[in-house]
Amino acid sequence: MTSLIVPSAGAPPLVSDPPVIVTPRGIAAASGRFISRGRLAARTFYWLLWLIFARRGRVGSGVEREMEALGIGALRLVIGASMLVGLIATFQIAYQLSTYSAETMSARALGWFAARELGTIVTALLVVARSASAIAGEFASMSASGELDALRAMGLDPVKYLVAPKLAALLVSLPALTVLSDAAILFGGWIGNSLFLNYSTAFYIDQVREALQLRDVAIGLGKSVLFAVVLVIVAADAGLSVERRVGAISGAATRAVVFCMIGILAMDTVVNAIFYFIPGLI
Amino acid sequence: MPALAIRDLTGPAGAPELRGVSLDVPSARTNLVLGPIHAGKTMLMRLIVGLERAEHGTIEVDGEAFDASNVSDRVLRRIRTRIGVVFEGSALVSRISVIENVELPLLEHTGATAADAREDARALLAQVGLVVESDTMPYQLGRAAQRRVAIARALALRPAILLLDEPTLGLDAHAAAELDDTLTRLQESQGFGALIFSHEVRYAYGPVYEIFVMSDGAIVARGNKTTLRDDPHETVQQLLNRRGRR
Repeated sequence: MTSLIVPSAGAPPLVSDPPVIVTPRGIAAASGRFISRGRLAARTFYWLLWLIFARRGRVGSGVEREMEALGIGALRLVIGASMLVGLIATFQIAYQLSTYSAETMSARALGWFAARELGTIVTALLVVARSASAIAGEFASMSASGELDALRAMGLDPVKYLVAPKLAALLVSLPALTVLSDAAILFGGWIGNSLFLNYSTAFYIDQVREALQLRDVAIGLGKSVLFAVVLVIVAADAGLSVERRVGAISGAATRAVVFCMIGILAMDTVVNAIFYFIPGLI
Repeated sequence: MPALAIRDLTGPAGAPELRGVSLDVPSARTNLVLGPIHAGKTMLMRLIVGLERAEHGTIEVDGEAFDASNVSDRVLRRIRTRIGVVFEGSALVSRISVIENVELPLLEHTGATAADAREDARALLAQVGLVVESDTMPYQLGRAAQRRVAIARALALRPAILLLDEPTLGLDAHAAAELDDTLTRLQESQGFGALIFSHEVRYAYGPVYEIFVMSDGAIVARGNKTTLRDDPHETVQQLLNRRGRR
């Protein structure tokens, strides 16, 4: 069967995966990958429940370590970038609204959009950029050095000791980072509104308070929980499924970032479509 | 009762690299699987531990026999508590400290409290001649010390059989001899059987009980250093008489 996308001649690709080819074999491979991620997700949630309800504390310290690495470590990046996104969004929104002489609505639009969409997706993509490659690279290098085999040989499930603590950490830290990102975006918006658009602080706060509803914040946080699951499962699968060789590490890291971004954007699209098409949800 | 008995082991399933391997390791004895690189030694070890699924064959560990081609996760988990494994290159978990590495099997399988596990881990490290700080990481240790940590970790659950893949590979002669002495001392005090997988002929001239010579995924000769000298197989002659000529 003819492929729809033909790989171009030239330098070898950085990612060792074959190009997306719509053939029975390609579909079977994609299905296999999907099933493998589903199994990994099921095992991770099983061990996540164990983590929550078991009394033994070994993995507990692992969660703290992961929260420090995945959550607190991303704090400066998320807050700094979110402020800039707030400024950029303010300029864009004000520019578009000026066509209709409605710049005064820019703070309101930003308030609504930040909580529901912007903070959530910006935080998720920043954490993907920072941590997905790290997670996949860590697991791939552990596989290459025989550490995963050593864990299995001791009767320890790598999913329990490595993946579940990361999921537990991100399920807490990604929503927390999202709230901080929302706040930083609004702070960036305040700088834009007060310094460049010359609106008073009181006016900006009033506009944001009118636009910002708890429901929007809750929807944003709900999405961030889904994004945390996608990020950990896709990145972990990319790292755990590599061959036992050092050269596979960079490929796994790149694959993790690419598929995490696609997965999170796809998940966001589905959630937005559900809220758009089901009356009463929006 | 042997610490380890393997019968007609062929695997891994689907693309067998090993065919019909049978061997025994008595308790408190050390046996040697000797063979050139790519003879299938590491694959044999992986099949014994269940890291690869066998095509057929039975394995008996400390009196419990199981079908290596069809073993449940539950049985495998139980069997793995009776087997200690020292991988080539030590394979210490790099993200946690040296002591935490030794604590891992204790916390997972014995239900020990964190304090008890820490105390036991320190005692195990002392047995292999190491005293480390709580936050010492694996990368801060030299190769020989890492190997000792791997042995302490492998012995944490008092296994019936200890598998060692190229245990002194990359160590200088002095460090290798010290490690051999430590292993002998631990075996005398704890009584575990040991199976060494190596291409180093010097083991054949050490205190090993039986030698299994491996080539192309099969055991081609078995015996001791005296009987094997007269074995006509090409691999045996290449391995043993190479040292003899020196």
